[in-house]
Amino acid sequence: MNKFQKGKFNLSGTSIKENFELLTKALDASISGIIITDNNQPDNPIVYCNAAFERMTGYSRNEIIGHNCRFLQAQDRSQKEREMLAKCVKEGKECQVDIRNYRKNGDLFYNELFMSPVKDQNGLVTHFIGVQNDVTTRKNAEHDLRQQKSIMERKIEERTADLRDSEAFLTSIIETVREGLLVLDPNFNVLSANYHFLRTFKVSAEETVGKQLYQLGSNQWDIPQLRELLVKILPTNNPVVDFEVEHDFPHIGRKLMLLNAYRIELEGQYKDQILLAIEDITDRKEIERRKDDFLSIASHELKTPLTTIKGFIQVLQKNTPEQATDKFKTVLEKVATYVNRLNNLISELLDVSRIQTGNIELHNSPFDFDKVVKEAVEGIRATVPEHTITLMGSTSAEVIGDESHIIQVINNLLSNAIKYAPDSKTVEVNIANISEYVKVSVKDFGVGINSEDTKKVFDRFYRGNDVQKKFPGMGIGLYICDQIIKNHQGTLWVESEKGKGSVFSFTLPKGGKELDGK
Amino acid sequence: MENKKILVCDDDPGIIDLLGVILEDTGHDIITEINSLNVPALIEREKPDLLILDLWMPVVSGDQLLQMVRKNPDLENIPVIIISASRDGKAIANKFGATAFVAKPFDIDDLINTVESQFQKTVLME
Repeated sequence: MNKFQKGKFNLSGTSIKENFELLTKALDASISGIIITDNNQPDNPIVYCNAAFERMTGYSRNEIIGHNCRFLQAQDRSQKEREMLAKCVKEGKECQVDIRNYRKNGDLFYNELFMSPVKDQNGLVTHFIGVQNDVTTRKNAEHDLRQQKSIMERKIEERTADLRDSEAFLTSIIETVREGLLVLDPNFNVLSANYHFLRTFKVSAEETVGKQLYQLGSNQWDIPQLRELLVKILPTNNPVVDFEVEHDFPHIGRKLMLLNAYRIELEGQYKDQILLAIEDITDRKEIERRKDDFLSIASHELKTPLTTIKGFIQVLQKNTPEQATDKFKTVLEKVATYVNRLNNLISELLDVSRIQTGNIELHNSPFDFDKVVKEAVEGIRATVPEHTITLMGSTSAEVIGDESHIIQVINNLLSNAIKYAPDSKTVEVNIANISEYVKVSVKDFGVGINSEDTKKVFDRFYRGNDVQKKFPGMGIGLYICDQIIKNHQGTLWVESEKGKGSVFSFTLPKGGKELDGK
Repeated sequence: MENKKILVCDDDPGIIDLLGVILEDTGHDIITEINSLNVPALIEREKPDLLILDLWMPVVSGDQLLQMVRKNPDLENIPVIIISASRDGKAIANKFGATAFVAKPFDIDDLINTVESQFQKTVLME
């Protein structure tokens, strides 16, 4: 008993004809394309199509009726959906496929096809009905989505690879760098240790990572001073700079280590971590010490014969015969001058070496500042009688510092004032009290310094370009002066005009460096 | 002023030569010695009024001699002038109780003045 016979199609009309008409109109009003094929005729020809099917395919009814559905696939025959359809047709089953179809004008559209058999009272398949919807838009969206997804996936893969690469790159740097590195959490537990750290201390990662810094080895890092500095890092961001630790370390013996620690400036999971860099400077210090020793010995050994030469020249000068020519006397004087210069060079070389390694020792004691300046000026006056060196001002100050170093600076500034002013015979020295400092200015009327060179005259081995040719020297005198004044927490500077002369000035805190900044 | 006896010890023959020449003119008696090992015996025998010692000498250094002298009750007041080209010479001289220090290379007038001032001090003390 089918629905038709049950009267379900007795719709609003009274006759079958009226009802049939309504049904046909309804089919044409459907937005889904509908076709019926006749299974009893060879090759299942289409016997009915509605208006939507015509719109969907672009074919008109007369081009459709009588054809098998396959014409819609045009040349695109190898779709697996076709096999499925054929199978269902053969077995008289219903099915649903999304199949690529082509409109009359050749445009591709995706057809969502519901196909089901129509059976007679004996259950034999007489017709098939196909209901189809154009799902191209959906398919395109799905396709786009798939494509988008695969692009995303590819990008993620690339990015991950990049990240892995850069991580590997950074790791290789961290592992290769010749400095021990530890990362600490806020409780000073070791989060990671690099290869050089493990190698330096001959320890394994297992006995290092996860432990507290202060418990490593023989508690070598448990130093109250270091603890204090490390505690301040996170809240204040004050790094620990060049903290030296000398310790008899397990496995490696007595070593001198240089520690530097910084807060890691990152948000997120790396926030509040401390990077601790440890460098073994034992060998470096040893080499520095040997260099210092060598230079001390070399300078001592060079000065010994120089002492003899200088002494004998003086003996000669004192015993110059009455009838000696002026030339003889001048030559003797020149020999004396150059021996003195040689002596100064040897002293300066030793000074430079010591300054470089920070080994200049200050023997600080109070001294009468005015007296020291006066004596230094008088000392230079005696060597250049044709010059007028005027000393102005007074401080009446007692200064704490290394007297011999300060004399060295004044002598150097005065010698320069004379040396670089070959056409002038006047040098002015001024001393004054300025706040808690004493100030000395040495003014000459010589060649002057151009503004570019004024920045560099205190650099080691620096010599002004035009000065280079006209005046002898190694370019270390002012460097040493600057270092000495810096060691005393004072400042040394120059004001100069090319061709007019220069004023070199320095200040010294009267109370010595202890009072300054504390 | 009466003649004084000065014992000079330096391991460098040039310095010994020079000091001999310079100090000769002062009219004092000069004893020079190049080997610091001989100094104790020389002091014992010659009873000098002043010692002039170099610092860096092989076997027995100037500061060792100085310490030895200062530990001897008979010699603890003898003036000792240290002469050295060593940078820390002055510090060492002061540390071990030298009466004066003269850096090498020296000005011969400075050296002579330093020598004479030692005798003036001793005169005052006497």
